[in-house]
Amino acid sequence: MTNPVAKPVLVARRISKVVPINDGAAEELVILAAVDLEINAGESVAIVGASGSGKTTLLGILAGLDTPTDGTVSLDGNELTQLTEEQRARVRGSLVGFVFQSFQLLGRLTALENVMLPGELRGDADPRRDAMELLAKVGLAERSGHYPRQLSGGEQQRVAIARAFASRPKVLFADEPTGNLDTVTGARIIDLLFGLNDAYGTTLVLVTHDARLADRCDRMIELDGGRVVANRASAA
Amino acid sequence: MRLRRIELVLRFLLREWRAGELRLLVAAVLLAVGTVTGISLFVDRLSAALLSESATYLAADRVVASSRPIPDEFEAAARARGRATARTMTFPSMVFADERNQLVSVKAVSDGYPLRGVLKLAPAPFGAGVAVTGELPAEREVWLDSRLFPALGVEVGDVIHVGDATLRVGRVLSDEPDRGGSFFDFGPRLLMRMDDVPLTNVVKPGSRISYRLLVAGVDDELAQLHTQLEAKLGATYRWMGIRESTPSIGSALDRAQAFLLLGGLLAVLLAGVAVALAAHRYARRHYDHVAILKTLGATPSEIQWGYLALLGAVGGVAAIAGLAAGGVLHLLIVAALSAYMPLQLPLAGVKPLVFGAVSGFVCLAAFALPPLMGLKSISPMRVIRRDLDVAGIPRTLTYAFAAIGTLGLLLWYTNSWRLTLWTIAGISGVSIVFGALAYLLLRAGRRLGMQAGSGWRLALAGLARRRGESVAQILIFGLAIMLLLIMVLLRTALLKEWQTQLPEHAPNHFLMNVAPDQVEPLSAMVRGHVDQMGELYPMTRGRIVAVNGVDTAAWEEARRAAASTDPNLDSERNLSWTAVLPANNRIEAGEWWNEQPNEPAVSLEEAYATSAGIEVGDVISFDVGGVPIDARVASIRRVEWDSMAPNFFILFSPGALQDVPATYMTSFYLAPQEKAFLNRLLAAFPTVTVIEVDKVIAQIQSIVGRVTQAVQLVLSLVLAAGCLVLIASIQASGEERLREHALLRALGASRRLVRGALGAEFALLGVFAGLIAAFGAEVTVFTLDKQVFELSPQLHPWVWLAGPLLGGAVVCGIGLFGTRALVASPPVLVLRELG
Repeated sequence: MTNPVAKPVLVARRISKVVPINDGAAEELVILAAVDLEINAGESVAIVGASGSGKTTLLGILAGLDTPTDGTVSLDGNELTQLTEEQRARVRGSLVGFVFQSFQLLGRLTALENVMLPGELRGDADPRRDAMELLAKVGLAERSGHYPRQLSGGEQQRVAIARAFASRPKVLFADEPTGNLDTVTGARIIDLLFGLNDAYGTTLVLVTHDARLADRCDRMIELDGGRVVANRASAA
Repeated sequence: MRLRRIELVLRFLLREWRAGELRLLVAAVLLAVGTVTGISLFVDRLSAALLSESATYLAADRVVASSRPIPDEFEAAARARGRATARTMTFPSMVFADERNQLVSVKAVSDGYPLRGVLKLAPAPFGAGVAVTGELPAEREVWLDSRLFPALGVEVGDVIHVGDATLRVGRVLSDEPDRGGSFFDFGPRLLMRMDDVPLTNVVKPGSRISYRLLVAGVDDELAQLHTQLEAKLGATYRWMGIRESTPSIGSALDRAQAFLLLGGLLAVLLAGVAVALAAHRYARRHYDHVAILKTLGATPSEIQWGYLALLGAVGGVAAIAGLAAGGVLHLLIVAALSAYMPLQLPLAGVKPLVFGAVSGFVCLAAFALPPLMGLKSISPMRVIRRDLDVAGIPRTLTYAFAAIGTLGLLLWYTNSWRLTLWTIAGISGVSIVFGALAYLLLRAGRRLGMQAGSGWRLALAGLARRRGESVAQILIFGLAIMLLLIMVLLRTALLKEWQTQLPEHAPNHFLMNVAPDQVEPLSAMVRGHVDQMGELYPMTRGRIVAVNGVDTAAWEEARRAAASTDPNLDSERNLSWTAVLPANNRIEAGEWWNEQPNEPAVSLEEAYATSAGIEVGDVISFDVGGVPIDARVASIRRVEWDSMAPNFFILFSPGALQDVPATYMTSFYLAPQEKAFLNRLLAAFPTVTVIEVDKVIAQIQSIVGRVTQAVQLVLSLVLAAGCLVLIASIQASGEERLREHALLRALGASRRLVRGALGAEFALLGVFAGLIAAFGAEVTVFTLDKQVFELSPQLHPWVWLAGPLLGGAVVCGIGLFGTRALVASPPVLVLRELG
């Protein structure tokens, strides 16, 4: 449920994304069309929709990974669309955490080193201690020295969640976090994600096909053909 | 904060190293540095050794030569710089022993002679020579050439007379280092002390004497000495190094350096290709890595500096390891060859090391920098959209970097725009032609593949699907194999050329001072013993006194460039006349006289005429033994001096010198075991002078042999570099293949089928590359044979078999070896690893 007194942490105004189609020089593909939305601090929002509806693109733009063709995005007061890639990277480093469908762990680093990365990039004094704490919270303290290829899918996603919270994010973005996992493992990951989200007071924005996951969120935004067709509180 | 950044970069480097990601790149740069350093060190030491060995043919490192006594101040200047010096005087003189007499070439030497090389003495006339050091004839003693013993009828211990001096025959002189030289220096040798010369009273004003001051030292100091003396040398005193004194040795050295250089060039380029392949592979494998780092907050500039630091570290590690490897490599070569190379290699300078290290960094900057710098612009969106195109650095920029780097390295290495541009033009041309051929082969293969078994069909389909990449790989493999084939063919051509340059039965003995009445009986005797006797040339001596009515000195002053190595126009020369243009001579300007011209005419050797500024139509006034003769220049000839046949700078038309007394000369081939014939010949004609050219030929052949070995050695290094490029390139394309084959296995293909298809694909790549290489090698060698070596070109059928066989075997072998572990691992693991 949207808290009427909460301050919006993420504000998107009339954002659109248009890409040229390679074959026809003049033709363009509209991926997002004038999307407006506000997400409040501490809120959890699911972006749902059919494949190709533009939800992943929206997530990328909201998180500052991509830029819109038109419109503005403000993340915790930072006008992302006004910033250079250099500045956006700093905003990401300080405000944003990510969990991906394909885990996106660095295969050449151990679980611990993966979780240490955000702290290292931020220049923390002891990134190892923080990372070990987070690994313990996701139940993988014993596996800290293992490489991603030595971990199961569920374990890899737990490492990815630990890494996301190592960023001490204000907003956590998740792209189909259960998409590559079986039902049972997926359910555990959902519990873990929401548990940590509550513990850290993070704002959660996730893209999903998973109805159970969407239902756990405070609000659901549905996209179709690049437009918001529904913006409502979840059933739960 | 900064410290923390450095710590972060260091941690990044360590993790990359631990992951094995950098190994290929480091190996490629190490290969570049190691090969360049190894070759440079070896070339540096070898050419220094060849040069110093060649210096023994001069008996010194530099020589000041003149027909006038060398001023004491020259020697003093050399000694003031701490250089060792010695003096020699060479002059013809009659020697008397009882009733016999003989014209000899006297060489009087001072203490310290020879500064380079050794004297060889024989226990008895015509015996084998044994080197002696630090020994010279004692006071009032002479050492004689073997053939002077029968000619004079003397033995060791007898006395002979040179002018007013009575001297004792001390030893049998077998060889001396600076025996070669001009023709009048070829008489049988009498070696004596310089201090004894005044006793003879034969040195008078106007005597024909060659004075030499020998100097030993290193190049830089000698160059300084040359600068110091230059003004005083003038046209009277000639400053000579090995190149000026013996042209054939000089050109052998030049050729050796050119070939070694070519080897070095190829090694640098091959290493560059390996670095580029490794760097592109590394960059490709880091797209996701960078995207993830960016989502976690790494800024583009942090990414850029991180990878720059990485390149620096790779360069540093590879340079240090490469220098060490290059050092070991060249020591191994030296050790392996020590049995064949009785040369003492001098220590190398620092230059090869600097060259190796800088080459490594330049290779990195030119070939590895662009793909790695492209990483900073990877979009972080890639973490959720894997299919996102990688913008990276524009291709043109990548190619520009590679081109500038290659150009810079080539220029630095060759020090010649011409050679650099030719190399680049050649490689570009070859790439275009090879690319087109590779494309055609792939298309033809695809068609054939339709009918093939499943393994081959998979292989051909794979090659055709990645057509661009396959074409590039065939091109690279083809280029490497072609270079190897060319080198093998070239080596054959080169040896052939040197062998034809010095034919097996080239004349190895010259007879001079044959009196007109001796011509017939002597010809009969020689012809009765040897198969072939050369032309008989009349010979007299004379000098040029004027050109077109202008006094020689004035003419030279006005016309000649002030090059101190040019022979003096007015010095006395051998003159001859003939109706027929001698073999090994070619008319370059004017016409040869086919009939006896009405007025005296001359034909001049090209270089001689050029340096004197004389052209066809000019009138030259000669003084031939006091008889003035004017002759018009009818033609300019090019002479093959290396042919070892009698050759003359100045040839007259028949009849022009009919009033002048002359002697005759000729040449013939005598097998080494028949040297005793010389004794009988000299006993019958004691006044005739025999010149044993075979000794000079042996000297030249030994140098040529050394040079060939050196070139072969460098080729074997290039071959190794080529093989390593193959490995890098197979690794670079390995992943995509592995992913496909893991998929195939997941779909139910047996491991055998997958391994077979992989093998077939690599083998086909190699065979296609080999076919193209054979084609390229044939075309190149055909052109070189025709244009450069002037050999009649021929096809080499074995190349068409060897190229594809070598390509198929090497590429397949290395490919299967490089992928063996991953083919054996479960497909699910491969797919998960490669993502």
